[in-house]
Amino acid sequence: MSQAGPSREETVINQLKTRFPEAIKDGKVDRARRLTITFEKDHVQEIARFMRDEMGFDHVKGVAGVDYPTHKKIEVLYFTGSFTKTDIEDLLVILKTELPRENPLIGSVTSIWQSAHFHERETFEMFGVKFEGHPDLRKLLTLDNWEGPPPMLKDIKFPEMGQR
Amino acid sequence: MTAQPTPSPTVTRAAGPSTLDVSVGPQHPGSGHMRILIRVDGDYIVSSDPDIGYVHRGCEKIAEYRNYVSNIPHLERPNIADAIHLNWAYVLPIEELHGITVPPRGRYIATIAAEMNRIMSHLYWMAIMAGVFSGHTTAFMWGFGDRDLFIELAEMLTGARLTYSFLPPGGPRRDLPYGFEHRLTKLLDYFEKRLPEYDRIFFSNPLLVARTKDVGILRREEAVKLGVVGPVLRGSGVKYDVRKLEPYGAYADLDFEIPTFKEGDSYSRFRVRFEEMKQSVSILRQALHNIPKGPIARKAPLAVPEGEATGRVESSRGEIAYMIISDNSDKPYRVKIMNGSFRNLIALPFLLRNVHVADMPIIYGSLDYWPVEADR
Repeated sequence: MSQAGPSREETVINQLKTRFPEAIKDGKVDRARRLTITFEKDHVQEIARFMRDEMGFDHVKGVAGVDYPTHKKIEVLYFTGSFTKTDIEDLLVILKTELPRENPLIGSVTSIWQSAHFHERETFEMFGVKFEGHPDLRKLLTLDNWEGPPPMLKDIKFPEMGQR
Repeated sequence: MTAQPTPSPTVTRAAGPSTLDVSVGPQHPGSGHMRILIRVDGDYIVSSDPDIGYVHRGCEKIAEYRNYVSNIPHLERPNIADAIHLNWAYVLPIEELHGITVPPRGRYIATIAAEMNRIMSHLYWMAIMAGVFSGHTTAFMWGFGDRDLFIELAEMLTGARLTYSFLPPGGPRRDLPYGFEHRLTKLLDYFEKRLPEYDRIFFSNPLLVARTKDVGILRREEAVKLGVVGPVLRGSGVKYDVRKLEPYGAYADLDFEIPTFKEGDSYSRFRVRFEEMKQSVSILRQALHNIPKGPIARKAPLAVPEGEATGRVESSRGEIAYMIISDNSDKPYRVKIMNGSFRNLIALPFLLRNVHVADMPIIYGSLDYWPVEADR
């Protein structure tokens, strides 16, 4: 797309950076329609509320955890988009933040984006990330008698599945 | 109103001593491999709590221990009715990280396979929905019968009936076989004559209409809030289709409509899928007509350059996105799957409230929920 001035992707980043100069650590355009925004975890709810109410990002497509044991951190990624605002509805905005691996704790966005409900439950179960304020943070996919640690962590391996 | 699982403060009927908790499933009473805990008061469901995970296999975990190509067969298994779309959404980010583009002919072949798959998946849904859930045996027979004709052609194209593993990174495995165009054109001629019959016998059937109209209403703003996708979203009047918003494959060259219905009830979700089958026929005809000559695929190395990428396609059940994090090896560091069934799950406890028990299969069926896809 050749147009003068900032692209739509850059506009989104600039809007967020202007509103949250401290909380937004980095914003980059990965390619057309994809942007990754790194933010400080304590501000997740403010950012989510601003994105929903002022910018039109009305839903979450998924919440992903990524475990980095060597860096002692767990990254949480929110994939957000818009169904209703036609000029941004093709964008996929990835909000990324990192949590300490010993005590991954972050505010829940379910009160802002209700669509995150099951995604946060899944990330809680698979990575042990606690979403504060989630109305129903229970196990979802694993067996009822699964007592082990969160199975998606990198140091949890299932040798019977050939994982060594 | 919020879609909270049981015990829900929004439910008033649960207060009385007349309520009863009933476990529906998981032994596949039509609900698939999942359990829905419903609280009933007489003939009414007052609240429900979906209990999923009975077919969870840890696809994302397994994917971290296999190389990119041997991941394809098991990452498309979660939805055998819609395998091409799962496969395609998985290879798009790999191709992006490699920086390769599939040649035009390869993109057309993938599009043809995908649209055939969409028709197959919608016919499967029609057979189960109209046939099993609303007791119309003819729909079951016709749906599965006609679906098999498409399966035969898919087998001719890919070598497998359902789980194709047809799209490795770089492009499809095979070119169109000799005589395929002719056979597909003939099948589309036949299928196009069938569609008005489907409409007359099933979709406009007074019994089916009575069972589905005004049942399970999901209004536009609720659908947006819950973040549902695919025919469920379009049945609530939101025009959202990845094929238009972020054209992949050959969709940028093809002319098609996105059917939407604003009522948001089970019937409009029915109608969306029916209209989508018509659009898929038109897409297939255009693709067969416009398909260019040339190479079909490029070579992609097994090791993927370091980086993160997200690819998405519009599957039969809505937007599917795969995020892949690569650490410059031949195995992904992390694969995250976001699919339509899991995203539509939230609509189930929302819609199964203050409805008749008899409406439960209709509402469940209208979501076209595929438990294995959601559980992964």
